[in-house]
Amino acid sequence: MSTTARILIIDDDEDYRASTRALLEGEGYEVSEGPSGREGLAAASAQRPDLIVLDIMMESPVEGYSVLQALKFHDEYGEASSIPIVMVSSVQQDPANLFPMADGVDMITPDAYFTKPLDIPTFLGCVKRMLEK
Amino acid sequence: MTRPAESTGPIIVIDDDAAMRRACEAALTRAGYAVEVFADGPSGLKRIEEAGAGLIVVDLKMPGMGGMEVIKRAKRLNSDIVAIVITGYPTIDTAVEAMKTGAYDFLPKPFTAEELRVIIARGEERRLLAIEAKRLREERRAQAHKFITFVSHQLQSPLGAVQQYLDVLRYQAGDSMPEQHRLWIDRSAKKVTEMLAIIGDWLTISKVEGGRLATERCPVLWQELTPEILENHATVAESHQVTTIDEVPADCPPVIGDAIALRMLLSNLVVNAVKYNKPGGEVRVKAEADQAEVSLSVSDTGRGIASDQQEHVFEEFYRAAGGSAAGTTGTGMGLPICKKIAEELDGRITLDSRPDEGSTFTVILPRSPTC
Repeated sequence: MSTTARILIIDDDEDYRASTRALLEGEGYEVSEGPSGREGLAAASAQRPDLIVLDIMMESPVEGYSVLQALKFHDEYGEASSIPIVMVSSVQQDPANLFPMADGVDMITPDAYFTKPLDIPTFLGCVKRMLEK
Repeated sequence: MTRPAESTGPIIVIDDDAAMRRACEAALTRAGYAVEVFADGPSGLKRIEEAGAGLIVVDLKMPGMGGMEVIKRAKRLNSDIVAIVITGYPTIDTAVEAMKTGAYDFLPKPFTAEELRVIIARGEERRLLAIEAKRLREERRAQAHKFITFVSHQLQSPLGAVQQYLDVLRYQAGDSMPEQHRLWIDRSAKKVTEMLAIIGDWLTISKVEGGRLATERCPVLWQELTPEILENHATVAESHQVTTIDEVPADCPPVIGDAIALRMLLSNLVVNAVKYNKPGGEVRVKAEADQAEVSLSVSDTGRGIASDQQEHVFEEFYRAAGGSAAGTTGTGMGLPICKKIAEELDGRITLDSRPDEGSTFTVILPRSPTC
């Protein structure tokens, strides 16, 4: 890429943010952080990052999905809806099982989904591929 | 007099003597109870099941199904049911037998309406106490479950954060770091991973204890689960140089169970069979059925378990000492989880093992009634 890609990490755990930030900065990306769903959305809207790493945020599992839904579907984030989202969860479970939806309702799915602990090479490979698109 | 709000269902009176039925009905109705009377065991039992009755009055000597049998079957429908026996042939022997069957009290005929009411009131009190005791037991169990869940989550996220720091450190500084330091990081990461596995198992077992793991009761086919589980563990088996063999017949009848819980059960058994095997060994999964049950067995060709340790392997946190567990990692909770799942599904798990020949774990579960 000609300019440095900018990545926003939305995660309520300070330590996860710190280590994910170090990992991505180590690959040469410019990184910003959002410590909650609300602050993350504000940052996404203001900064228009090239990619978002979104934690499912287990303190209130709906939060991560609300952010996902807002970014993808709300008109106010219209231009942000094309930002690729990599979702990360500490739950070793298919997100469809975590939030069962009625038949016929499509689950809003992130562009990529990882569970913690991250498989670092796979995660970085995925981030790189998405930024090249 | 009104019946307490917690009461469930009417009092069921079963007696072949029409005059006695009328007398009981009149006495209990007057005392404010809802009463239904039946002339024989089968029709009374049918109503007990429908109405969820909590208290029954049963005549001992009836043509067809006798009172003892009625009580036995009623207990099967509702283990907490309070049964009061009435009989025109009161002897010590019949009284003793009635109590052994689980009858709560014994009333010889003839009796007055007042005597019946006193004994019913006592029975009701006993029933409500039992309900209260059960509620308290469940509350305590729920609290224990809540505690272990809370503690586990509190431990899980900081450990997860430590794990990711170590992973990033290893990824970024791996080659530039002194060999000794890398080794320490590897060891720390391994220990953190083991701790996380233990916490995961705690959470699982607390779910099993709360009865919340095997919640479904659906027909499950071992011949569908087995290939999937063996495939999931193919890489681990390969790294241990162990061959897995699926001998579950395609026409094996289904068991009644919870597919997710049974997958976990089989997965635990297969992982153990691989882990405690010898290089070049085999893991064989077989199944056979009789009229009532399906037995699924997982055999390994490993070092086996010494006879004095076999009874302990299903205990929580137990890991066989000496040879077999050496050099392997485990939480000591895999087999207790298997046992709890099997028992929750009205089944059992058995172990047959000989040192140096291997072990066979067999899970026996009821067949699904649809077949």
